[in-house]
Amino acid sequence: MNAVIQGVSEALALPASSLYTPRPGELRADVEPGALPEIADRLVAGLGARLASLFATDERVWNAVYALHQIWLLPRHRTFLRVSTRVDPAHPCFLSIAAKHPSANWFEREVMDTFGLVPEGHPNPTPVSLHDDWPDREWTLRKGFPDDRQVPRVSGSSHPFRPVTGEGVFHVPVGPVHAGIIEPGHFRFGVAGEPVLYLQLRLFYVHKGTEKRFERLPWRHGIFLAESISGDTAVGHALAFAHAIERLTGCEPPPRARYLRVVLLELERIYNHISDIGSIATDVAFSVPAAHAQLLRERLVSLQERLFGSRLLRGTVAIGGVKTDLSAAGRDELLAHLGRLKADFESLVTLLIDSGSFTDRIDGTGVLSTGAARDLGVTGLAARASGLDEDLRRDHPHDAYDAFAFVVPVEEGGDVRARLMVRAREVEQSIGILRQALGGLPDTPLRTTPPAELPAFSAALGWAEGWRGPCLHWVETDAYGALTRVKVTDPSFRNWPGLAHAVPGNIIPDFPVINKSFNLSYSGNDR
Amino acid sequence: MFRILARSARTGIVTNPQPLAPRLHRGFPVIDFRRCTACGDCARACPTGAIQIGAADAASPGPSPGTTRTVSLVYGQCISCRECIPACSEAAVTVGGSFDLVAHTREQLIHRASFDVDPASGRATFRQEESVPGPSLAESAQRLTARIRGRFGRSLHVRQVDAGSCNGCELEIAATTNPVFDLERFGIHFVASPRHADLLLVTGPVTRNMEIALRRTLEATPEPRVVVAVGACGCSGGIFGEGTYAALGGVDRVVPVDVYIPGCPPPPQAILAGLFVAMGIREARARPRP
Repeated sequence: MNAVIQGVSEALALPASSLYTPRPGELRADVEPGALPEIADRLVAGLGARLASLFATDERVWNAVYALHQIWLLPRHRTFLRVSTRVDPAHPCFLSIAAKHPSANWFEREVMDTFGLVPEGHPNPTPVSLHDDWPDREWTLRKGFPDDRQVPRVSGSSHPFRPVTGEGVFHVPVGPVHAGIIEPGHFRFGVAGEPVLYLQLRLFYVHKGTEKRFERLPWRHGIFLAESISGDTAVGHALAFAHAIERLTGCEPPPRARYLRVVLLELERIYNHISDIGSIATDVAFSVPAAHAQLLRERLVSLQERLFGSRLLRGTVAIGGVKTDLSAAGRDELLAHLGRLKADFESLVTLLIDSGSFTDRIDGTGVLSTGAARDLGVTGLAARASGLDEDLRRDHPHDAYDAFAFVVPVEEGGDVRARLMVRAREVEQSIGILRQALGGLPDTPLRTTPPAELPAFSAALGWAEGWRGPCLHWVETDAYGALTRVKVTDPSFRNWPGLAHAVPGNIIPDFPVINKSFNLSYSGNDR
Repeated sequence: MFRILARSARTGIVTNPQPLAPRLHRGFPVIDFRRCTACGDCARACPTGAIQIGAADAASPGPSPGTTRTVSLVYGQCISCRECIPACSEAAVTVGGSFDLVAHTREQLIHRASFDVDPASGRATFRQEESVPGPSLAESAQRLTARIRGRFGRSLHVRQVDAGSCNGCELEIAATTNPVFDLERFGIHFVASPRHADLLLVTGPVTRNMEIALRRTLEATPEPRVVVAVGACGCSGGIFGEGTYAALGGVDRVVPVDVYIPGCPPPPQAILAGLFVAMGIREARARPRP
């Protein structure tokens, strides 16, 4: 680790003494408020760092300040770096990095919305998470704000949509209640005939106060809230939260649990990817493969109900391990099922990509270039479909991933086809991982009992590469060892700006299939 | 083209002829009240407060002569996490196989028993169950079958509204349309607009930011209409609670609810069962008044 500190301190021009390693895989630097922009520039230019999360904490009670934290992923050094600085309550501002690093754009605005800390120099300092009827000066994540405060609605329009002018140029409003069985959000298209000029998003319709709720619930119950951050990523978020608590307490899950967690996470990846491939077919009205994909998914989730007691794998991950074991018979049944699934899935993908009328709709549709994906901070499978080679399972292995051989599929196209092919190739890899994990399940207990109390005044980062991308949970405790801040970063929050960038230039009828190829979570984004 | 047809022929019919028949392997927890000692360990383990220990005699809290205690399992709040099962030292809580806990009121989703507390030892002994039974699925299904056979063609159009869900319920609602469950064979059809709908299938917790959209969607739905609340959050706010700054709670906090389908998320079987019960209601409302 000393070599890492050495390398990072040289690249950032910081004294090595200002960097330290609270625990393996996490590096921390406390910097002066004025140094944020320069450090960000050096991180990106010198170390190829990617912004993974950015948030604030209210430390007025014990430190008399707010704090701003940036979590960076340093791929070359295989570590996360948390850059923290203080924010004076008398002058609640911090230096924005969003003008040069657009990946910080929404993060900084959310800090402004929820903490009232203003990002100085932000090119567009308008609310991102607050709706128009939210009053000024109500900052929900400040410590003085009780979670049951009934906030009155105010009238007004604090962030109007961008106007469009010209003959045949108009707005198309869509949502919040959509036409399908999907989550709510508002899309405002500026169109000239059919081609889309731009897409503006207004999300946060399903904001449930999840981060505030974590501060209220006993920490042991937090894992159930984590499962409900995004229902399709129950395992991903439960793992990220469990990892954070385990790293905080030094509780090490036994080997069998680490293998079974890989099994659960890969099953979640497979059922979602299959379902998305079917939905892409649905959105171009190709119903036979769509029905086949739904059938493959249903057979898998009903097997999950039989083996793990939950169709969507809820209640399977525990802090310190897993709750449900897999018997030898169950393992054999799952392996046999995966064999059939692999054959059926391959013929499904062949059916799709051999069909000219299908590839016509997906080739070159909704292109997100590598540069745009990198600048906007797009992550997970959407990033891999735009040529960015990143995957936490390989780069920052959690659970038992370092024990398995697999490749990370990367596609260069950035279009709907690339996102479909990344999914198809990932399913193949996941089946390979599952075969390795199921073939070598260690014979150990399922769970290490976590300590009764969390350590006071400590913080830890937990991560897991969910099917959509990295799920990050950063947790912090107060003087009594209770959770005082939980920052949840769902990959959707980083990818929505990428979707808004991929749509312009396409025609409105292609929007559903572009949207589905990203399949972002509204609930994970809005929390 | 021929390959597509051949593939479909090879697959054959995969639809389950009796979608409600298979029991779940692990459904809701069930308390055997005869073994229960009303100690409250399960209530402390429950993350959503679905298990509640109450003093039936509110005027005299604490163990005093003649005190009774109640134990309630509120299925509307239960997320099937099964934390209560290992918490019980009497092995009174077990996993049930049922999913068809459809109800017309929140009260029907509560299984409750009262206990007599011995003032000397503090021991609680079971007195009686006090649950309010919900609609019987067998009855509703029978009525439905008769109706479909009798008047083929009348159908139920459903508009789904996500008023704050985590999207787990949406996944399971969408699964009711897959080839295995195929709810369209029962005359149930998902439509794109509330103006075409007979029934709103609402998931929650209703958020502050969706409250107005939900009210407007209801206004846009023609009478006679039925509202079905889906999921632990839709029934009670679930893990997100009720009355926070962002989550108002169950759907009935905002619009009147006719049918509750608990579960986190309820499996497709349960959603189908709930829709069958709701069809019965709509049938009654749509009948011309004498």
